[in-house]
Amino acid sequence: MSTYAIGLSTDMAIMSFLALAAYLLLLVGRVSFGLQAFFGFGAYAAGIGSAMLNWPLPVAVAFAVGLGALVSAAVAWPTMGLSGLRYAIASLAFAEMARIALSQWVWQVNLGDRLVGPNGVDGFRDIRWVLTNDITDAQYLFICLTALAVCVAAIWYLERRRIGVVMRAMGFDETLAQHMGLNTHHIRVMTAATAGAIAALGGALYAHRTTYIEPAVFEPMLGVHSVGYALIGGLGAPFAPLLGVILDLGLLNAFHDLAQWRMVIFGGLVAIFLRLKPRGLVDETLLAAMRIRGAQR
Amino acid sequence: MSTWLINATQATIDGLIDGGIYAWIGLGLSLSFVTLRRLNLAYGATALFGIYGGLWLHQKWDLPLPVLVVVIVVITLVATAYVELLCFRGRTTVSAQSGPRPAGEIQNAEIVAMAASFAIWMQLEQVAVNLLPRHLQAFPSIAATSEWAIGEIYIRYDRGLLAVMGLLCCWLTAKWLTHSRTGLRFRAATDHSLAARLSGLRVDRVQRHAFYLAGGLSAVAACSVLLLDGQVTPMFGMWMLFKGLVAAWLLGGHSLGSVMGGGLLLGLIESYAQWLLGAQAREFVLYALLFVLLVRQAPVGWKGLTA
Repeated sequence: MSTYAIGLSTDMAIMSFLALAAYLLLLVGRVSFGLQAFFGFGAYAAGIGSAMLNWPLPVAVAFAVGLGALVSAAVAWPTMGLSGLRYAIASLAFAEMARIALSQWVWQVNLGDRLVGPNGVDGFRDIRWVLTNDITDAQYLFICLTALAVCVAAIWYLERRRIGVVMRAMGFDETLAQHMGLNTHHIRVMTAATAGAIAALGGALYAHRTTYIEPAVFEPMLGVHSVGYALIGGLGAPFAPLLGVILDLGLLNAFHDLAQWRMVIFGGLVAIFLRLKPRGLVDETLLAAMRIRGAQR
Repeated sequence: MSTWLINATQATIDGLIDGGIYAWIGLGLSLSFVTLRRLNLAYGATALFGIYGGLWLHQKWDLPLPVLVVVIVVITLVATAYVELLCFRGRTTVSAQSGPRPAGEIQNAEIVAMAASFAIWMQLEQVAVNLLPRHLQAFPSIAATSEWAIGEIYIRYDRGLLAVMGLLCCWLTAKWLTHSRTGLRFRAATDHSLAARLSGLRVDRVQRHAFYLAGGLSAVAACSVLLLDGQVTPMFGMWMLFKGLVAAWLLGGHSLGSVMGGGLLLGLIESYAQWLLGAQAREFVLYALLFVLLVRQAPVGWKGLTA
């Protein structure tokens, strides 16, 4: 595999975490335009853990995931009771608050020859755990893919349990779910916490891949892309959002001449999909048809 | 006068001037939201697209200023029609359909339309940037080079005039909605769309026209702001959307009167935040305010102002 292919695959794997987070929230009937905030928190938290506090990567990532889940649950608690429309705008407003707060945050420690830590709009440099531990690009790709596979498998398993069925039912009809005696608010908050944790995991891996992060990275378009990936890929199964990522980063990146039209094509695709196939390429109908066809054989 | 009092007066005047402009920006967004019950997140992007399209033609053919403004409005209207067609048509509210639909389905339709408009936002913004790739674009300026000084208080009278025009535009639109036949048709289609439909009103067409009107108003407001700023960047679309959203929702967003009050209040809050806490805090306060307002879900009050 060429260095370019490894790099692109790693990028796709990292963006897939955001797509999975958006997918989970879409399952329960919520669109979040603020997942980039948890991606950012994850990146900063893991960076602080490994670069400033000298923690091993797994510990730093676990810290980032925990923080992402906690903050996401705290934000979801007052906002999940809102209508879908208001929730989407509230999530975007929160993400912008987080971005501005990160751009004002300065906390650096002296590590002998250099200062390390968040430095406002100048970002956070020298998150070098991967380099200092001689992890190759291919090995890092393997780490990202393993983490992604675990997440997809966990969601897949979850969806086959009662809680997964309830989550999907809520997305279709909240009133019916409430009628069944389910506390939809609690389920949505738990889902948001999980989505925040997954987005933070992606952010933690992103920070260690690039070694440098800045608040400008976590702009609203990142959140929009994550929702777009899930909407294009589909809401039928947890692997479906990954198709959206492959389509955007893989296919459109493969054609360099299209680089400046990438947003135009991607935005158009999302809008067309929302009109023709609101639940994406791989939706419940397609999966059910495939299951029936499989059974008939 | 003490320094504190001078600064407070200056912040109040600046805030009210900015607030009038915000009210104008929020007017179109509020109009489309009130009539369609759908949030058009491409609101700022359509105006940005119109501005960049107009500037592109201006750079090619050196259009006179009035022609440039007309071209910008026309391009914005075309972009608005595109947004309406792709994101909102066929996704009108429950009573505009042949019969009632389940609440979950309505909410999903709302979210889908909003998400689609967000996708179109990035599309329009990218096309605009591809047309004129430089980050900062010059816009023909008619800004005054001096300002009024009353003692130690300074007033940008050109911006003041713009704020008054903005408030006047909101007030006239509110009057038009309550007194003209077309305005009453808009309101009937919004308030009781099923009854309006049964009375023979083509609700979908009325809503479409309201959407186009909102697009036209946004283009005029955007042109007016830029004529004084003299420059534009791709961030202008997002700026318009957020300022418009907060202005429209600060006092509940139920009427155009609340947009006027919301815009003025937003201007004051931002101006005081900048004075007391700095420029970055001003932006933070904007988003914090929007977040808190949404969480509260209830209007702050002051319903007497409504049209």
